[in-house]
Formats: sequence, structure tokens, C-alpha cells
Amino acid sequence: MGEVTSEPVEMYLETVYRLKDARGSARTSTIAASLGVSLGAVTNTLASLESRGLVRRKAYRGVELTRRGEAVALRAIRKHRLAERLLTEVLGMKWSEVHEVACRLEHAINDDVTEALERLLNNPKTCPHGNPIPNSTGKVRQTNTESLNELSPSQKGILVSIGDEKSDLLRYLASLGLVPGVSVRLEEKAPFNGPIIVNVRGSRYALGQQVATRIRVRRT
Amino acid sequence: MSCHESVTSISGQTDFQIALAGNPNVGKSVIFNRLTGLSAVTANYPGKTVELNVGVAKVRNRRLAIVDLPGSYGLDPVSEDQHVAKEALLFDDFLAVAVVVDATNLERNLYQALQLIDLGLPVVIALNLVDCAARKGIAVDADQLARILGVPVIPTVAITGQGLKQLMDCIFATATASRTPSQRKRQYEYSYSGMIEGFRETLQSFGKLTNTGRLPHDFHSRLIEGDAELENALQSTSEGRRAVELARTLRVAIEIKEGQPAHLVFARERQRVAHEITEKVARPIKLREEAALLGRHYAVWPPTAIPLMLGVIIGTFAFMFFVGGFLSDLIGGVWGSFVSPILQLTAYSIFPNKILARMFLWGVDAGILAALSVGVPFVLTFYLVLAILEDTGYLGNIAYVTDSLMRKLGLHGRSIIPLIMGLGCNVPAIMATRVLTTRRERLLASTLITLTPCSARIAVVLGAVAFLVGWQYAVIVFLIDLAVIGFIGKALNLILPGESSGLIMEMFPFRIPSFRPILKKTWFRFKAFVFVALPFVTIGSAFLGGLYELGSFTAQAQVSGPAMYAVLGLPPVAGVALLLGILRKELTLQLLVALAVMQYGVSAHSLTVFMSPIQLFVFAVVVTLYFPCVATMSVLARELGWRSSGAIMVGTVAIAVVIGTIAFHVFGLLQLLQV
Repeated sequence: MGEVTSEPVEMYLETVYRLKDARGSARTSTIAASLGVSLGAVTNTLASLESRGLVRRKAYRGVELTRRGEAVALRAIRKHRLAERLLTEVLGMKWSEVHEVACRLEHAINDDVTEALERLLNNPKTCPHGNPIPNSTGKVRQTNTESLNELSPSQKGILVSIGDEKSDLLRYLASLGLVPGVSVRLEEKAPFNGPIIVNVRGSRYALGQQVATRIRVRRT
Repeated sequence: MSCHESVTSISGQTDFQIALAGNPNVGKSVIFNRLTGLSAVTANYPGKTVELNVGVAKVRNRRLAIVDLPGSYGLDPVSEDQHVAKEALLFDDFLAVAVVVDATNLERNLYQALQLIDLGLPVVIALNLVDCAARKGIAVDADQLARILGVPVIPTVAITGQGLKQLMDCIFATATASRTPSQRKRQYEYSYSGMIEGFRETLQSFGKLTNTGRLPHDFHSRLIEGDAELENALQSTSEGRRAVELARTLRVAIEIKEGQPAHLVFARERQRVAHEITEKVARPIKLREEAALLGRHYAVWPPTAIPLMLGVIIGTFAFMFFVGGFLSDLIGGVWGSFVSPILQLTAYSIFPNKILARMFLWGVDAGILAALSVGVPFVLTFYLVLAILEDTGYLGNIAYVTDSLMRKLGLHGRSIIPLIMGLGCNVPAIMATRVLTTRRERLLASTLITLTPCSARIAVVLGAVAFLVGWQYAVIVFLIDLAVIGFIGKALNLILPGESSGLIMEMFPFRIPSFRPILKKTWFRFKAFVFVALPFVTIGSAFLGGLYELGSFTAQAQVSGPAMYAVLGLPPVAGVALLLGILRKELTLQLLVALAVMQYGVSAHSLTVFMSPIQLFVFAVVVTLYFPCVATMSVLARELGWRSSGAIMVGTVAIAVVIGTIAFHVFGLLQLLQV
């Protein structure tokens, strides 16, 4: 079932998927930063992944996954997110500590164990951070959410999740009133991927692209 | 430094220590200024570089130390100044904490107030801006709010002083009461979800914790919520360690049940409570007038925002140029005809030795004059305009408009404000980088600030190039500088690991600024210039004078001269002038003339006699870019450490040499500026 891949390959494809999901594009420099490896190493690995038909590199647009690449990535993400659930719910680990452990655990779980795990955990829909878990056929449950910067000026939405695992940022946003469930209205949007201004309960905040793309909303 | 006492030493001389907390831009500083008057000083918080304003107020013959904590939105900081606010609230023994709350934005402001009340701190709420709220059709019922929260609430209008006397009395009463802890339970009428309330009781009843007095007496819910600093503080006792363990277990239980991190669960609950309280005590907000809504749109809509921004920047410089120039002439005139003669008479009668007398004059006469005629007029007027722009709420719009540009330099919109401040003096600008989130951002912004021409360097460019060569060449110098800033920013962004944390900034509504806070703000920034930069200027000047009088320049000029000429095409004396310019950049031109007179005789009485236009141009470029000044270096070292500071200094010198060399050769090739 599926392609036979090694641990580093899975990590690369997973990273590309996450970056594209969270920010709309995966660039060599951001891949290097999030994996903590050198730019040269990333370039080399991407070249070999491209020759295996798992990714496509496009000038100025970063890296994209091919259909086969995406399938591998989703399989790894499914294991990762189920592993996170296992760690918090069964082993009682802290929510903010499970990401790193799950990174190692996911590569040790084979497909049979994955299915058993899913049944044990009662078919969870999301990981402890609120991100969806892909199903066994590699489909991501379609959530009708979009990132905050995709709204047009004067459109409103309900904040669904903040796709960032850095908890300092999450906590700071929470103290500004940006918590899941709150209603937000986009007021201004600067051109050329500039910042946006959102209105949250009467307060206006300017948010840069790095922040706005990580906030998922459901349009109302 | 004498102006930097520590918070504890000031508090030691008083009877009570209380804190002033609140969101940014709610009038907290105005209240602070009104309560403490002229007694306020800035003080360093132990172990931190963030300065706090501390003042003393007298109530019923008692002296109260009031600590003005940096504005923050809650107990979850993202920058160093907010960190200081949080740590002070968690670990300092304040007998009362006055939380300033914006009545026009009650819901958001209540979040922080609830966090502090939940910690069991002796909170008094100053419900500020009630006049603005009334104009918007919001009437907040202060008595009902006090009943629900279980703490005193005093409506205030800080600008006019309304309600501040009652506030002071209330703070005093609260402080007196918290000195003699009573067992009476606080009565309040709000509640969180059953799980949070239940767990807090579980943890409270789990056992008596010896409270060292360094902890707020009700930290249990914060401990369940998760707080690394609080956990660390509890590690010293075995009861403390057990409490931390239990709190962790409870936290996991919440996370499993809610499927969300515990701090989010707490945040949501607090937001809910804040919302419900606001619904009860305040009438719903009416939409603001259409005109104001349109105004705030056009202030950020690029086709109007960019011309507006350019207009504001040009206007600022025009104001500086005219008002600063006028003041500079005035001060120079008065000094030259009244102060200077007196100083000279005194110097020669005090010091029997002529060289000593002249050294004294270099330091006190020429040194202070230069500071007064460059620093005071230009730096002061600049900071005045900046404070006005800030208090009208306009500065945030510049940050918004420039965010995309700053992102390319690895920064975000908020960092434009310290960079603009650097045009006055680099020293307060580097201190202002504390509002940035990561060390990487502070390092990037500080490096770019050292390349930003401060008023002293602008004076050199104007004196050497605009007046003697032509204003268009002065513009080219500034454009070269701008290009270097852009290039270095981009390069550092690529080299340094990590990336920008992204812009998160509240857009404040436009307001008509009031007089006193503006003066206060101007003075606090100007003070950094006066107390950090001025001593360097005076001492440096006396030191230079000494070297000059002893004639040690000529020898150095002979050593560095040939290299100077070969690489940059500058006359040998320029090397010494540049070397000494790190003490006083605005003096480099005068120094150059003085040195030339020593070497070539009196015929070299003016720059144009011994320097060609191209040499003047290259000299100005180098002065703008290399090593900012000793005062900037010391402040950089204090903020970022000696290693980073040293690296920045070496880097700027290298950049100056490279760009200066290129300018010299390119101009030579193009046969521009040849006489």
C-alpha cells in the first residue's frame, strides 16, 4: 500500500505540505528554517525528490507536491496527528510537549498500527492543536475554513483555529481577544501581500501576513 | 548613572509601593504624571534594561512610590517591556495595583483586569476616558462593575484630573488594608466554568503553601493555566513542587476534556466573562461618525496613505529645519556673546597651565556649545513632532503602510518607529527596539539604526556637501545611505537564522493629543540623549582637545595618511578626524579644519582650500556610515551584549570603507565633481 519511503523523505514532504497549508507557499529558505538544516542540504534533497517525481520546483513560487508526494505527506501527517492524540489522551502528556515526540513516533508506526490507533482513540477528527487528521485513504476532511487574509474588506468570519504551534503567540493573541469562536471583521487589506486590519469586538488590530495566514476563519 | 536609580532604592524611601497597570494607550501615563507630578524618574528594573517610570505621591503625610508598568494586554508577554510588567505583577509586593481601564473599550480591557483580580492582587480599577465613552453614547455603571468584580472602581478623566483624588484615596485605603490581611472573603458576582472553578478549589485545598511574600496569594488558577515563571518560582520548596505537579495533572485533564490547550480554555472563559460583564454594565456601542470611519480608511488606503505619509515626513523635517535652525542660531549667538567669554575668563584664571585651560575650554565651552546647538534644537524638536504624531494615533498608520517593505528586511511594520527615531539620535532609538518581539528583530533593527543618519551626521552632510558642493549631492549621500540600509537589511535577513515574527499591533483611534503627555514623552526620550550621549560628548571633546593641544595628531596623520589617500582619496588629516569622530561626529568638520591648519599652516583655514568637492563627498559618505559613536556603542552593548555590539561596529566600518572607495572611484571614472 502506497510508496515505500524513508524517514527523511517523509519529513521533507510533510514539511512542504504543512508550509503550503499554513502559509500558501513552501520556499526553500522556510523549509530549511523549519527543519533546521542548511539551504544547500535542502536544495540537494529537493532535487532528488523531484527526480523521484514527488515534488515540483517552480521558480519564485517555491515547492509543490505532486499527487504521489502529497499522498506520502498525508500518510505521515495522519500518523503524526494520531500520535499526538495518543500522547495527550492515553499517556497524559502536556499539549505543548507532544509535537517533538510525535515527530519521532510517527516514523515507527506502520499502517496496521495506525488503523488500530484510530479505533482505540475513537476516530478523532483533529489533533490536540485543532488541525484535521487525514483519513486512511489520504483525504483531509474538507473544512469550510479559509485563512483570515482570504476574506475581502468588510467581510465577517468566525475564528476557527490558529495554525501555529508556538504557544507564546497563541497566548498573546488570546489576550487581544483573538480566540476560537470570536467574530472578526476584515476592515483593510494592503496590496502586495501587505498586512490586514481586523476588527475584533470593537478593537482594531493590524496583522502581518505571517500572522494572518495562520488564522483560520469560517466566513459568515 | 545618577538618573538611573533602581526601583527598590526609590521604594525604600517611601511608605508604600503600588503599581499602575493597563493596556497601551488608555491614559495610564497621563494618570501617572498627574499623580506624581515632577517627582518621576526613570529607574532600571533589577537585571533588566527596560526602564520604568517611578514617582512619589503624598497622601495624608504618607509617601507612596508609584511604579508605572509598561502597557500590556495581559500576563502573556511577547516583548521585553511586557515581560517586565508581568514579572513585576507576579513577584513584587505591591500593596495596591491600580488597573487603568478604557471605558470606550471595556470588554477588551476587562480581560487583563480579570487576570490580575484572579491572581488575588489588591486591584483598584480606574475607569478612564468616561468622557469619551459618554460622547460615544456609552454610559458605564461603575458601581455595578465594582459589585460584580468585587474591587473598587473609580471613574476618571485623566486629561482634566477628574476623579484622580478619589482614585488616590482609594489606592491609599486599599494599600493600608492589604498591610493587615483580613480573613474576610472577597465578594464578587462572576464565575468561570465549573471545571476551572472546581480545579482551582482542588489546588487551593490541596495543602498550605508557604507564601514567601514574593508570590501573589492566589496563583492557583494561573498555575493550572500554565506559567513557566511561576512554576520555576515554586520549585524551591517540596510543597511548591507538589503543587506544580498537581496543577499539571489538572491542566491535562482540562485539555483532554476540552480538546484544546488549557490556556486557550482559560482565555475563552475570561473573554466570555468580560463580554457578559460589559453587556451588563455598559450600554451597547454606537457606531462612530462616518467621517472618522472614512478618515481611518484613507489613512491606510495606499493611494492616499502613501502621499499622506510622505507629506508627514517632509513636514516633520521642514519643521525641524526651520524651528531647529532658528533655535540653533539663537543658542549659538547667546553662547558666543555671553557664556563663552565668561568661561574663557574663568578658565584662564583657574588653570595656571595654558594647555589645561584650553582643554577645559574644549570640553566645557566647545563641547557643550556643540551639544546645545546640534542636540537640543534638532533632537528636541524632532522628538516633539514624533510625540505629537504618536499621540494623535497616526504613527501606527506608518507602521501599517510600511509593513510589506520592512518584511523584506526581516522586520515588520512596528520596527519603522525606532528607525525613524534614529534620525534624531541613535541612542534612544536603540532603546526603543525593546518593543520588538525577538532578539533577532532587535539585532536587525539596531544594526539598521546605527546606519541611520542621526542629527549630528545630517549636520556633517549638510555642512560638507549641501553648502559647499551642492544640495543635489547631499541628496545622493542620503540615497546611498538608504540603499546601504536596504541592502544590509536584506543580507542580514538571509544570513541570520529565523524569520520575522510578524506584525501584531493595535490600531488606535485618532485622538486630539493633549499637551502634558506630549511634553513628558518628548522629555523622556530627550533625556536618553542628554544623560547618555552628552557626557560622552563633553568628555570626548576635552580628550580631543588634550590631544590637539599636545600635538599628538601630526604623528598619527603620518601613519594613517598614505593609506587614507590611496583607498578613499582623502587628505591624510582626514584619517585622524575620522578616528576621533567616533567621539563627536558633528565635530569632524571643525576637527578637519583645525588639523589642516596645524599641518599645512593658516592658509588651510577652510575645508574648500584643501579638499576637493569629490573628497568632501566621499568624506560625508564615510562619516554617515562608519562607527556611529561611542555613546551608541555603549548603549548597544548594554542592550545586546558586547559581542553583537562589536560585530556591528566592525561591520559598519567595513561598509563605510567599501562604499567610500566605490564612490571615490566611480566619481573619478565618471569625471563627476572634478575641478
